[in-house]
Amino acid sequence: MLPLLPGIIPFGLIAGFTPVSFGYTWLDSWMGSLLMFAGASQLAAYQLMNEDASIWVILLTVAAINLRYVLYSASIAPHLADANRTTRLLAGYGLTDQIYAVCHRDYPIHNWNLNARIAYYAGGTLLLWGLWQACTVVGAFVGQVIPVFWSLEFMIPLTFLALALNTLKTRAHRVAAITGAIVSFAGLNLPYNLGLILGGLSGILAGVLFRRVNQ
Amino acid sequence: MTQEFIIIVALAGLVTLALKSAFIEGQHYFTLPKWFVDALEFVPPAILCALIIPGIFKGKVGLIAAFGAVTIDPKPIAAAVAALAFFMTKKTIPTLTAGMASLYLVYWLQI
Repeated sequence: MLPLLPGIIPFGLIAGFTPVSFGYTWLDSWMGSLLMFAGASQLAAYQLMNEDASIWVILLTVAAINLRYVLYSASIAPHLADANRTTRLLAGYGLTDQIYAVCHRDYPIHNWNLNARIAYYAGGTLLLWGLWQACTVVGAFVGQVIPVFWSLEFMIPLTFLALALNTLKTRAHRVAAITGAIVSFAGLNLPYNLGLILGGLSGILAGVLFRRVNQ
Repeated sequence: MTQEFIIIVALAGLVTLALKSAFIEGQHYFTLPKWFVDALEFVPPAILCALIIPGIFKGKVGLIAAFGAVTIDPKPIAAAVAALAFFMTKKTIPTLTAGMASLYLVYWLQI
């Protein structure tokens, strides 16, 4: 778990200062990290709020970005199935890319009992959660003293750019990305952020079709 | 606290929790269909790229709010430089730094 922690620091800071750069308070910013606890979708929600998107568009986008958690959840569930309801709910709240990666790797190769599995999950999650919250609050306070012309909000599309470029593993992924970008650009002036939604959907579809045709 | 902001992040938090807990809570009731799993890997590149576009071509940026508009929008150029930095370094921090630095530079060159 520890090697994965430094990577979240810049994202935590960005999640902290971007709402402040949009004019919200440090407490708003922290509440975002506390209630959502899902980095990329937090940034998406903030960017869309700044574009005056409707709440449905925001929730749909958040759901799309966080859809991968269903897969993680399915993979972790058998290992925590016998835990009590509160533990499972907390495990759900605390689910992240990072804890999924280490549990997915370590649960099958160790013969841990339920308590050991919970302790492993809880330990890693608490570290990550604490660091994320701390970075958000620090970022939010930093955001309050940094003048508006620094344009820190531009860090959101730049962060998405770095995240997106990181996902381009195969040609099908590149097709999905380019289609998403082109359709979103073509629909830039459509009402209700339809360009974004159509871009996302057609990008996914293009990736699936491209893979199917080329298999 | 800003009421509207808190309401949105609270609802978004509920949506997130529902997705994260889908199987931890409801594993006995449903299994993931194959088309869903197949499509899932294309969600991040498609959605993130669709999100980048309004952020680059529409988003309000503090520089312009503070010092006024310029002829050539610095954001798309800054994003292109950031993408180049990513391809060269494969790292996040240099990507963000290159993007922000070129945003300031392209703006400054026009004032």
